[in-house]
Amino acid sequence: MKYMILTYGSQVDYDGMAGKESELPAWKPEDFAAVGEFMENFAKELEESGELVETRALAAPVHTRRVQLQNGVAVVTDGPYPETQEVLAGYWIVDVESFDRATEIAAKLAKTPAPEHVRESAVADVRPLDDSPQEFDN
Amino acid sequence: MPPTEIEDLLRRLVPEILGAVVRRYGHFDAAEDAVQEALLAAALQWPGEGLPQNPRAWLITVASRRLTDLLRSEQARQRREASVARWTLPEQWLAPSADRDTFGADDTFILLFMCCHPALSAESQIALTLRAVGGLSTAEVARAFLVPEATMTRRISRAKRAIKDSGVPFSLPPAADRTRRLGAVLHVLYLIFNEGYASTSGSNLHRVELSAEAIRLVRMVHRLLPEDAEVAGLLALMLLTDARRPARTAADGMPVPMAEQDRSRWNAAFIDEGVELITKALPLGTVGPYQVQAAIAAVHDEAPSAAETDWAQIVALYELLIKMSDNPMVALNHAVALSMVQGPQAGLALVETLRADRRVADDHRLHTVRAHLLESAGDLAGARESYRAAAHRTTSLPQQRYLRARAARLTSES
Repeated sequence: MKYMILTYGSQVDYDGMAGKESELPAWKPEDFAAVGEFMENFAKELEESGELVETRALAAPVHTRRVQLQNGVAVVTDGPYPETQEVLAGYWIVDVESFDRATEIAAKLAKTPAPEHVRESAVADVRPLDDSPQEFDN
Repeated sequence: MPPTEIEDLLRRLVPEILGAVVRRYGHFDAAEDAVQEALLAAALQWPGEGLPQNPRAWLITVASRRLTDLLRSEQARQRREASVARWTLPEQWLAPSADRDTFGADDTFILLFMCCHPALSAESQIALTLRAVGGLSTAEVARAFLVPEATMTRRISRAKRAIKDSGVPFSLPPAADRTRRLGAVLHVLYLIFNEGYASTSGSNLHRVELSAEAIRLVRMVHRLLPEDAEVAGLLALMLLTDARRPARTAADGMPVPMAEQDRSRWNAAFIDEGVELITKALPLGTVGPYQVQAAIAAVHDEAPSAAETDWAQIVALYELLIKMSDNPMVALNHAVALSMVQGPQAGLALVETLRADRRVADDHRLHTVRAHLLESAGDLAGARESYRAAAHRTTSLPQQRYLRARAARLTSES
């Protein structure tokens, strides 16, 4: 069964990671390096156990384009999110035995060595993928 | 023989085996599948049972047998569908006449020309070349490009279908076309190298080293065409660029600009080989863009430090390169080199004209160069602004950190 593990961040969070001081402090080089290493090992373990389907990190929310109908015409907006709105920042798709196993994997993210102010508010969601078409394939 | 050596041997034999099977039986698309299955069988059997006496013949036999099966089942399927189309089974065909020249070198070339056929998209050319000539499995190609295996499978079968539909015969392109078609082959190999060199992110586990694979393939072409100066130039360019890889990234994953790299960590063997190649290639005849780029890389690699680099020669080489191709990134590098000879103002004047070029006006690299030049010129406020503008435009977090650190350093100094 496949599940998606999702993490979130706002533009302010991304700015901190990119070393920019704002209402939140900028990450120190050692924080950035430690988190990078942690994430690489996290993915490596999932790859070795054969559970990782794919993982991606998304670029900062400011690089977003939104396409929306306005009076029947598709209109494009650059950077539609407010600075502090949390949006999807990255995901892992895992193919595992059970919802509990997917949850166990997501719980490991709680050990991410990010700065304390980031850890306090960080969440990860685990959502089952809608796999039903494949079940009828057999 | 250890499994990694067997793997190397198999990959080296791929183009010859595939070439031999296609030459004898046709059906490039089915033959390519058959060869992949023969490779798999060899990878499973050889480590345990030892190498057969003639590995090449073994692979051709197994692949031909597998191709027969594939064609048979295809024929059966077509019969079931009451199709009038009939394929001739391999054993019913006449063997190629003995006077036909069928040595591996030609076959490898024909394969390369087929995989890099202009009718295919660049993505398809790259994927097919890595599989049919490089001997990578679909899963390996997929991992190298970080796309799902199913996507890569489709991409490869679409490419093979396009080749089948185009009716390209299994032969070298006509002589009049050959230079242009070789250019397409070299471009594909260049793109493979670049993909490997540029991507430093993501987990590297099980990721096939695309730069090393590109170098291996260009080496092969160079062995077949030792007199072609552009082939030698491309090989030299790859070696001279890849030589700097160990010093490009700091321990914390941050990019290190060339001026600040620890040159003792550059790969001296690659530099020697690259310099020798380009030195021999330049007098051979018409100088092409790969040779000029290799010459620029050689000047950099031979300099003991950024300050002691022969920048005047680099400026002259960039001017030659600009005449060959209208590429704004080349113009940007030219601006950097010029600033090293004539000072930052001369470089900035060129950058200003580039800001009107829509292809690079919004590129973070233009703003990074502008920031560095403004900093050297003493315009710290302008430099700070430009570093921030560059940070805003790149999506890479390590690059953003580097640019913001430069901007912050200026704030604390001023």
